[in-house]
Amino acid sequence: MTTAPHPDPRLLDPKLAKFNPLRRVLAHDDFNTGTHGWIELIGNHDQHGDLDTVDAHMSDFRPPQLSSCNFFDVGTHGAMSGTYALKVATRPVTGHTGVAIRRLTMSGRGRVQFETYFAYKAEAASADNGAATAAGGGTWDANNHPSEQQFGALTVATDICDGVRYHNVVRYQNTDLDHTVQHRWMYPTVPEPTPREHFEGKVKLPRTADFTAPDPADWQQFGERQELCFNEVPTKVNWHYLRWVIDTSTRSNVELQVNDVVHDMRDVPVPPYDEEYGSLQNLLNFYVSVRTHTDVRNFLYLDSVLISVDW
Amino acid sequence: MRQSFTAVIERNATLTGEFATEPYEAAWAREARWFVRVLDSAGRAPRMLVRTQISPDGLHWCDLDAGTEQSVDPADGPLHSWPAEGFGGWLRLHGTVVDETAAGTSEDRDGAPASVKVLIYLALKS
Repeated sequence: MTTAPHPDPRLLDPKLAKFNPLRRVLAHDDFNTGTHGWIELIGNHDQHGDLDTVDAHMSDFRPPQLSSCNFFDVGTHGAMSGTYALKVATRPVTGHTGVAIRRLTMSGRGRVQFETYFAYKAEAASADNGAATAAGGGTWDANNHPSEQQFGALTVATDICDGVRYHNVVRYQNTDLDHTVQHRWMYPTVPEPTPREHFEGKVKLPRTADFTAPDPADWQQFGERQELCFNEVPTKVNWHYLRWVIDTSTRSNVELQVNDVVHDMRDVPVPPYDEEYGSLQNLLNFYVSVRTHTDVRNFLYLDSVLISVDW
Repeated sequence: MRQSFTAVIERNATLTGEFATEPYEAAWAREARWFVRVLDSAGRAPRMLVRTQISPDGLHWCDLDAGTEQSVDPADGPLHSWPAEGFGGWLRLHGTVVDETAAGTSEDRDGAPASVKVLIYLALKS
């Protein structure tokens, strides 16, 4: 008996088989083998390395951690594959954002796909952190846990420049700023404020400003509401599949798949900058961020990431 | 090849009085070393007294090795370093900024608390 060859031999590798890559894999980030270039985002500094020149709202996005998903009640939860995941953490400060970025450039134009398995958590309570009584918490009913409403938002986004600079952005808004459950996918209608705009005196933002788009009125919903799997308590980690496709030949969004739901994004606009930026030709950055809406640390975990293109 | 990662735990931060750094997961690392780079200071001979702390869960903390205290004195130079060994899964620093007048949040003649402006690095290696 003969066996037909697998249609895509890459997928015989169990580490790749959980993804659906486009033709060329640019990056496969398995966080059991290091951080793979994911690093804290920071605003620009001057020629002296003077950190006082970094924009306040882009000065403290926190270093990513190679996390064993370790908790007070069960110890080491571990990642989806192996022990370690990439963890992005906020401070326990309302409005604080943690951001990790990965920096590439483009050798072509076309479809670009970002895939990951992710989980999101608010920090478990302790006497020191006071999470049990922090804003957003509520009454425990042995099913829903108050900490679920203490998780604000997670974001996956790009920073791309082909002469024109633009950001594709998708954000899962778990709660609004008043801790009311939203479960919405959102996009910003304006481009992100930049250090140069601050330098030119056009914008100055406070330390805990939402750096992606500071005005809540500049965020719009796309697709249907989608409930994810927080899984009741802050110490259970369930991995969610995310697949996001953009098209750099048209500077547009294509679609976002999260678990069993595919959101058509072809009509979701991508606001470009009006002004040109130097030093960024073929820029292709991806960032992930996590933002807390209360004085409780929020965490975004990535088991692994796969970035693929069709060029 | 061994893995390594240097985390900037505090950047350009002005510390006063008692402080603790954010929890950092380091279970993968066999080696850990703190670096404190002093950028500026204010007060009467201000310095930082710090202890490495460890935790089983990132929530509850105790001193590593019965609390060996490090003195970060800007008068000794801008860069200070010490290792942490046998630390388990989590690391942070807990400390106090003091000056000559008293421990804790002593004030200088202008009424401002003693302070140090620092970068704190945690250099990890598997």
